[in-house]
Amino acid sequence: MATISFDLVSPENLVFNDEVGTIIVPGKDGDLGILPGHSKVMSSLRPGRIMVYSEDKNLIKSFFVSGGFAEINPEKCIVLAESVVEVNSLEKTSIEKEIQELENKEGKESEEQLSVAKAKLEAINVNYYDKI
Amino acid sequence: MPSLKDIKTQINSVGSTKKITSAMKMVAASKLRRSQEKAEAARPYSSRLEEMLSSLASSAASGEGIIKLLTGTGNDQNYVVVPVSADRGLCGGFNSSINRETFKLVKSLEGNGKKVQLMPIGKKSRDFFNRVMKDQIIESFVDLNVSSTGYESALNISNKLQELYFDGKFDKCILVFNKFKSAISQEVTQQQLIPLDVSNSEKEEEKENSSNAIYDYEPDEETILKDLLPKNVSIQIFKVLLESDAGEQGARMAAMDNATRNAGEMIDSLTLKYNRTRQAFITKELIEIISGAESI
Repeated sequence: MATISFDLVSPENLVFNDEVGTIIVPGKDGDLGILPGHSKVMSSLRPGRIMVYSEDKNLIKSFFVSGGFAEINPEKCIVLAESVVEVNSLEKTSIEKEIQELENKEGKESEEQLSVAKAKLEAINVNYYDKI
Repeated sequence: MPSLKDIKTQINSVGSTKKITSAMKMVAASKLRRSQEKAEAARPYSSRLEEMLSSLASSAASGEGIIKLLTGTGNDQNYVVVPVSADRGLCGGFNSSINRETFKLVKSLEGNGKKVQLMPIGKKSRDFFNRVMKDQIIESFVDLNVSSTGYESALNISNKLQELYFDGKFDKCILVFNKFKSAISQEVTQQQLIPLDVSNSEKEEEKENSSNAIYDYEPDEETILKDLLPKNVSIQIFKVLLESDAGEQGARMAAMDNATRNAGEMIDSLTLKYNRTRQAFITKELIEIISGAESI
């Protein structure tokens, strides 16, 4: 089976760059599963999980992104994300605390942060896509 | 004529200055390497963002809201100039060239009847413009420490700028910063940040357009553009901050290298003077003894 090259780029560095089998990215209107030979798509992302699988469908890594863009063509998938963390390194308690703090604040900015934090929590709690 | 002791003290003090400057040089050199790595690490993101943007730019009709970041307000009256300097001195002409260039730019814009406001980044330019054109400063950012805080600080600046822009406070924003050319040379550069200047990537754009014609956009081009444009502003600022940071370290390294060399030369010439003076004393004493012995 063929592979597709996947770049995950954050403003600070190149987080991931390798040949992989499948990627699932959280598109704005719904998740996109990307296999080698995918048609050309440009999509913006919502906060959520990016799942990276090897050729034989084993989960290699999962990242949390707080939004960004994906550019997909048949050979390559590039994700530009604003902040990237590995899902494994997220801590549930600290995020819950963050959510509580943000809920007490008002304003557009903290609302945005809240939705990101909530998405983070969800990313830890859910386990669909762990096996495909 | 200075006594031997005076010269000795002078040599010692120049020697300790030399130690300080050479230590600063080494610190700057190691910081430079780190800043350079950071600047290089940020490059893939900004270049890819630019690629995306240029392939989308053509689809933007003159519109309302966020699209204005690309198309402009249609006016050309109010400017914001953002000089990017360092927080600390002792780096040669790094800060003063930024201040001079900005000053010149402001004066020439004002000469053309434009209204100019300033938003200095870095202590050195803030202090300078606080002295010369205090009432034109709308906001200043200091102690950014971009190599440790990273993208966050750029985001702050960009949010502030966009807030002002959408309030209609200005029509154009120009950055003045030191572009990092190599470890020993920086170039003062002006870059128009808002509205976005796509003209310099026009050639690539044409190429991109032909290959991107068959892209599917999700949700649609306009929504993506609306997300992409504000992000581009932050990224451009981030890139500039990193470049300026690397440039600062490079400039400091060069300046300190010079200072160390000068101190070395000074020590050499002082040592020569010391030896001569000592020899003169000895000769004088000998003459006194000999002439004393002869007269007996």
